[in-house]
Amino acid sequence: MPSKTLGFFARRPWVTILILVVPIAIVVVLAVTRDDSEALVIYNGRSHYGDEQIFLDFEEATGIEVEIRGGTSPELFERLRREGDDTSADVFVTTDLPSLWRAQDAGLLQEVSTPALVDNVSPELADEAGTWWPLSTRLRVPVISTERVDAGSITSYEDLGDPDFAGRTCLRTSNNEYNQSLVADMIAKRGYEETETLLRSWMANDPEILNSDGELLAVMAGGECDVGLTNHYYLGRALDENADFPVAPAWPDQDGAGAHANISGIAVINGTSKQDDAIALIEFLTSADAQSVIVDQNSEFAANPEVPPAAHISEWADVVIDPASNQAGTLFEEAIALMAEVGWR
Amino acid sequence: MAVAEVDAQTRQNPVGTTSATRRRVPGWTIVGVVVAAVVAGPLLALPLSFVGGDSFFEPLARTVLPVGLRTSVLLGVGVGLCTFVVGTSLAILVSFYDFPGRKTLDWALVLPLAMPAYVLVFVVLAQYGISTPLQSNLFGAGLQIPGVRTPLGAVVILSMVLYPYVYILGRSAFMGQSRQSIEAARSLGCSYGRAVWRVAVPLARPSLAAGVVLAVMEALADFGAVNLLGVQAMTAEIYRLWFGAFNEAAALQLATVLIGLALVLVAIERLLRGRARYHQQLGRGDAIEPRRLHGWRAFGAAVPGVALLLVVFALPAVQLVAWSIESIVDGGVASGLASQARNSLLLAVSAAALTVLTATIVVYGQRTRPSRLGSGAARIATMGYAVPGTVVAVAVFAPLIWIDRRLIDVANGLFGTSIGLVFTGSMLGLVIAYVIRFHTLAYFSVESRMGRIEPNLDDAAQSLGADRSRVLAEVHLPLLWPGILTGALLVLVDVMKELPATALLRPLGGDTLAIGVWEATKDSRYDAAALPALLIVTVGLVPVILLVRLLRGEGWTSAGERI
Repeated sequence: MPSKTLGFFARRPWVTILILVVPIAIVVVLAVTRDDSEALVIYNGRSHYGDEQIFLDFEEATGIEVEIRGGTSPELFERLRREGDDTSADVFVTTDLPSLWRAQDAGLLQEVSTPALVDNVSPELADEAGTWWPLSTRLRVPVISTERVDAGSITSYEDLGDPDFAGRTCLRTSNNEYNQSLVADMIAKRGYEETETLLRSWMANDPEILNSDGELLAVMAGGECDVGLTNHYYLGRALDENADFPVAPAWPDQDGAGAHANISGIAVINGTSKQDDAIALIEFLTSADAQSVIVDQNSEFAANPEVPPAAHISEWADVVIDPASNQAGTLFEEAIALMAEVGWR
Repeated sequence: MAVAEVDAQTRQNPVGTTSATRRRVPGWTIVGVVVAAVVAGPLLALPLSFVGGDSFFEPLARTVLPVGLRTSVLLGVGVGLCTFVVGTSLAILVSFYDFPGRKTLDWALVLPLAMPAYVLVFVVLAQYGISTPLQSNLFGAGLQIPGVRTPLGAVVILSMVLYPYVYILGRSAFMGQSRQSIEAARSLGCSYGRAVWRVAVPLARPSLAAGVVLAVMEALADFGAVNLLGVQAMTAEIYRLWFGAFNEAAALQLATVLIGLALVLVAIERLLRGRARYHQQLGRGDAIEPRRLHGWRAFGAAVPGVALLLVVFALPAVQLVAWSIESIVDGGVASGLASQARNSLLLAVSAAALTVLTATIVVYGQRTRPSRLGSGAARIATMGYAVPGTVVAVAVFAPLIWIDRRLIDVANGLFGTSIGLVFTGSMLGLVIAYVIRFHTLAYFSVESRMGRIEPNLDDAAQSLGADRSRVLAEVHLPLLWPGILTGALLVLVDVMKELPATALLRPLGGDTLAIGVWEATKDSRYDAAALPALLIVTVGLVPVILLVRLLRGEGWTSAGERI
């Protein structure tokens, strides 16, 4: 009997408000909080800090508005995968290669290439088909205290397991995608057993486990650890702020494979209607100007060969690097299981 | 209108016990069960992760389970013990003894509830500011607490912000006790202190246990603090399996184990409590009169509470203010702070309003016709509180995106327009996750208030011809509103602090203050984290202070029962 029900609510306005109007209003308000502006939507796995500038520069240079959603690269990949064709994302920016490979395997990316892009980036870093484009390289390397460790006492990843450093090492948590990338790449290149032996020697030194590379460096500078493992640009930033920062890189395997290098990259999402804007963004970000900003602000190495490392780390330009193998992408599950087995927290 | 018809039916049998009504379940009961099912639904699917694999446990889940489970059990037991000791002692001190500053401590001890554990962690970690650009550290660059990055460190930090649950419930239980029991014990030769310990504390056992259970559930569900401390609790393991190994089944299996752990906890609490009910009829003038302390004793009684507040709340708050000022002066304020604050408020208010609604409906559904089905569904719907935000996020996302796709298809077919992702693309999905996670808080608040409304009132109103809806509207709601308000405030504070579900489900442009803190802290950019963290604490204080006022106005007794 609808009329009776209506009558009931009509006689009790505040009940109506509470039970019907409020929830409906909330649902409507929330549903329209959806961002459906015409901006170019970027799922950005890179840090908010220091990167905002290049996106602002892009807006200013081209007049194309951008909208950024943050998160870690793996989180954003998972989101993209689930949203599928209905995603609002136009561009995916990652901090690592494995996230790009995963997205590629899942068919989320579309190949793009222009002469300008090919011109902008080093051929040895680029994906031939143009499924993704490199923005920068970052090395994950051992670091030593300049106050308590002799230069040259660490020349390989294996040296972090040297019993001399028992109780003196710091590592970042195994939850971190850079460590997972490194271990997956080690499994791809050295095999499971050799990697396990290596990690067990690291764990035998009873490392202190920290939550971020920045914290690791702070703790090393404070004297709690003497050796550690970090992405090179965190050290670069610390040195940029304080040239006497008492930690130095210990470049590994310089006579052999080289330092583990990962690539932060950018890709266009399959099915985007803003392909031209997306390409404009990639061209802009790989151009010498934007690359200089990345290099100067973040101490990363540029993907554009014309751009040298920042002045404060200029002597790091000649380090021998070992780019991550594309087989590492499928080895993350093994890497995580192995890290759990050897007790890497 | 099915509801109206059923109402008409029940009206003929107002008392509701005759066989005629038994054949038809009242509409409100059905609505209550349905709402409870919707709230609990996504979580019920978690155990399905054990079905269909090659082995019962995914090998990967088996590898990481021992460490995660050990750590989480340690966290649970540790936080349980710590919050019990701290919360109970403070409640005893404030309830049974009078000393200088007691009146202030009485409410001030609730304040740490507004401090998210992950904020306290980052304030502690950032004190060691050698490579951070922060200049205004209270402890220079040297406060490095040994062992803070261990499960034990996590236990201490979590307990420091979670003890108020035990304190509030313990305080209200003590206030509800009558003086006579203590006096009886004293007449039998006990000293005052001994009488308190032997009589008052055991009588408050159910409330204290409930407080401990709430604290332990929060500890088990914590993600931010354990992550920053590098402690491998189950929540961290679930995240690792999901967003590192991309092994969804293994992640869901661990999530199921974690919920199992929480349910075991609830079961133990119920077993301990048994059928015991410790209600005392409190007449006028019976309330306990705190005993006045003098000299060094009075001073000594004030020290623990003051010291705790100083360490857990005042110093970190001052530190956050100092850093915030520094970041404003240096221009280090992250852009988008205003929209983060707006989003946080919008989400918190919406989630509070909706949880209060689901809670009221479920509670009323149970009341109109108490049934096994009804109370079972209501019980299951409260499970969400024990479920970490990470798990709620993943449990909610899959069904929502499925619905979104159907909606897109329908809109395309009918109108030929593209509507985009309605739930997952907007804040609606996130609010649904909050409702699932925090329904419990509102439910307990409303339920205990409803329990204090005499059933005679319902019968009387119905015998005068009011139907069920009218009883709710005109009899219950006016009496329920303090419970509804308490529930809404508790949800409001918790949504402001909530991290993992927010981080995973946030829509484009939907960053909140908590995310602002998180994005900055995980990069060790403590300067950028300070201001949003300060805002979370400040905004969180408003509901906490309202709550305290409500508790005082109503007396701790009734208010405590509602939490």
